[in-house]
Amino acid sequence: MAERLTLARQLNEKAARQRLGRLGAHTLEPAWVALWAAPLGLPGKPPGAWLLGAEEMRRALLLTGTELPAQAERPGPGIQLTGATPPAYEAIRRLWLWERIATPRLWRIQALDIPPTPVWLPCWLGYRAGRQHQLTVISGLSGEVLSMLKALILGGLADAYRHAQTPGEKACSPSDIIQEERKSIGTRV
Amino acid sequence: MEGFTFVDMVVLIVYISLIAWIGSRFGKDQYSPEDYFLGGRKIPGWAIGLSVMATQASAITFIGAPGWGFEGGLERLVTFINVPLAMIVLIMVFVPVFHRAGIYSIYELLERRFGPATRTLSALLFLIARGLATGVVLYAPALVLAVVTGWSVNLTIIIMAVLAISYTVLGGMSAVIWTDVIQMFVLWLGALLSIFFLITSLPGGWSDVFTFGAQSGMFNAIDLSLDPSVTYSLWAGLLGGFFLHVAYFGTDQSQIQRVLSSPSVLDAQRSLLIGGYLLIPQMLLFLFIGVILATYYQQHGLTPPEDLNELLPRYVVNAFPSGMAGLVIAGVFAAAMSSLDSALNSLSAVTVRDFYSRYIKPDASDAHYLKASRLATIFWGLYATLFAFFAGNLGPVIEAVNQIGSWFYGALLGTFLLAIFSHRSNARGAVAGLIAGMLAVWLVSSLMDISWLYNNTIGVVVSVSIGYLVSLTTSAPRPEQLSDVIIEETAPDMQAILASRGASAPEVGHEARLTRRRCIGLLLWFGLMLGLLALLQGWANG
Repeated sequence: MAERLTLARQLNEKAARQRLGRLGAHTLEPAWVALWAAPLGLPGKPPGAWLLGAEEMRRALLLTGTELPAQAERPGPGIQLTGATPPAYEAIRRLWLWERIATPRLWRIQALDIPPTPVWLPCWLGYRAGRQHQLTVISGLSGEVLSMLKALILGGLADAYRHAQTPGEKACSPSDIIQEERKSIGTRV
Repeated sequence: MEGFTFVDMVVLIVYISLIAWIGSRFGKDQYSPEDYFLGGRKIPGWAIGLSVMATQASAITFIGAPGWGFEGGLERLVTFINVPLAMIVLIMVFVPVFHRAGIYSIYELLERRFGPATRTLSALLFLIARGLATGVVLYAPALVLAVVTGWSVNLTIIIMAVLAISYTVLGGMSAVIWTDVIQMFVLWLGALLSIFFLITSLPGGWSDVFTFGAQSGMFNAIDLSLDPSVTYSLWAGLLGGFFLHVAYFGTDQSQIQRVLSSPSVLDAQRSLLIGGYLLIPQMLLFLFIGVILATYYQQHGLTPPEDLNELLPRYVVNAFPSGMAGLVIAGVFAAAMSSLDSALNSLSAVTVRDFYSRYIKPDASDAHYLKASRLATIFWGLYATLFAFFAGNLGPVIEAVNQIGSWFYGALLGTFLLAIFSHRSNARGAVAGLIAGMLAVWLVSSLMDISWLYNNTIGVVVSVSIGYLVSLTTSAPRPEQLSDVIIEETAPDMQAILASRGASAPEVGHEARLTRRRCIGLLLWFGLMLGLLALLQGWANG
């Protein structure tokens, strides 16, 4: 299996803080989400954009550019969410078909016949405490709100919590586990 | 009085060719760089705003609103006074839900929530209503062409239909935001020039307009009558018009498609925000032209055309300098093409997504679906053409579009409200509510003398009430059916995890919340617009 590429985080903490603040978040932390990037373009030409998705996602994210903005280093600080499963090529192609039908100017662009590349997508998670606790997810590349990733990320956070609880078999509060997990992955935000 | 000269015809042809060239040229160059995919990224916000307005208003406003103003002054502005309030609801409720659900057609949300019958029925209603309304959109520029060339309206409808269908099938001309911007600029320029030429042709200029307008009650935009038969009372505008616009901008695929295609919730909100701010001033501008035209006709002792939609095109052709008339008429054409393009495209997308791939050929190839999509475009173009032949009998074109929608939209909005807010309602209730809502609108409008603006309110109230009550007779929906409308993080265990993560993460600091700020801005704008209208009315009535 191809090694997972790490997309470079382009939105720094200061910018993320400002962005999430405007969206009503009170606290924030970085995160990395495991997704798959499928190239889009004209047949026989280099890709013009990438469709980022996973089997669990109903609609994929669009990342423009001929090359994925990858960095050589492994993912930096932040929780790594690996709960998603790779999408089948057919599924990616079909997702792109509906985008094309919805927007005629995309008709010429096709999903290229190249297997999707596994990537780490950098994100920022914003938490809002109120009558109910809310999560806001923004992209670490553009700062856009990624509502469509929310279900995947919530599932990932729950998995991370369960995973951390299993080894010792002792009942811990979520906050103890999160502190432990942050220490273990060296989170410093 | 020059009429449509040879120079105008040259300008018209050059303008349309230029817009087509810009569209195709940018379309080609945009392959692979970012602009092709996310056209708005490097384009200033004001340009995106004008592009949004071009899709939302365009030629229909240019042609229909002056007719309204000529007939009833500013009274029909109440139909649009509620738009900022409607946009608040859309920004706060609909956009986040639609975006989170990751849907291509909004009717998919109804299937996930209520099952296939509700999706199919609502998508069918959209196709019927939008198909008919597209007929009106087609009729409007055909009328302009007929006025300037002297050809029959039916012939010009056929010419326009062939043009519109051809270029929608070829991928549309509105690929570039800048072409929309040029069109919008030309239309507004046409409106401002019309005002200039009209005012300079009146001996007393503006004072003649204000005197005539005040004397004939044309500035009485706010009618506080509680009588439901008064079509344009403030209450009909606030209560009926509010639901009309929430339904129109929130449950009509041709309007919401731009929102669904926006890269983020904030971008989607921004496009609605622009409509929320600009729609009232734009309507005011064109209604005011109607008032000025009424003064002009009265002072010059002219007889207005039988079809008031012809008022402004006729004036432009007769009063504008040679060449300028051609430019404005071309702007109307290009803008109408832009609206037709998006309407035909959304009709075809819903046909393929919600019907063809759902029931007829679920596993066909991409090429097959793309071909089906083009054929669907042709079908809806023909359907709209047939209806366009009768559109002239429906009165002012904007009202015709809204009235067609009001037969269906209230019930449709009620179904979406049930889907989002009532976690107890189920498939049987939704279908019953949808049908009962439409029946109620039909019954009330045929048996009672009430403003058509209330149709949407009746549709919403009946569909929500009946839908909820019928839902109580069968079992509650399963949790997975609610997954798109319940915020995922509300489960108790998830709340505990989020509370802990949030509590131990660094603080963000205090920033004004963007969505809240945007909504407060719209609310203040609504108050300001209403206040200005009240002041104008107060002045006119001494």
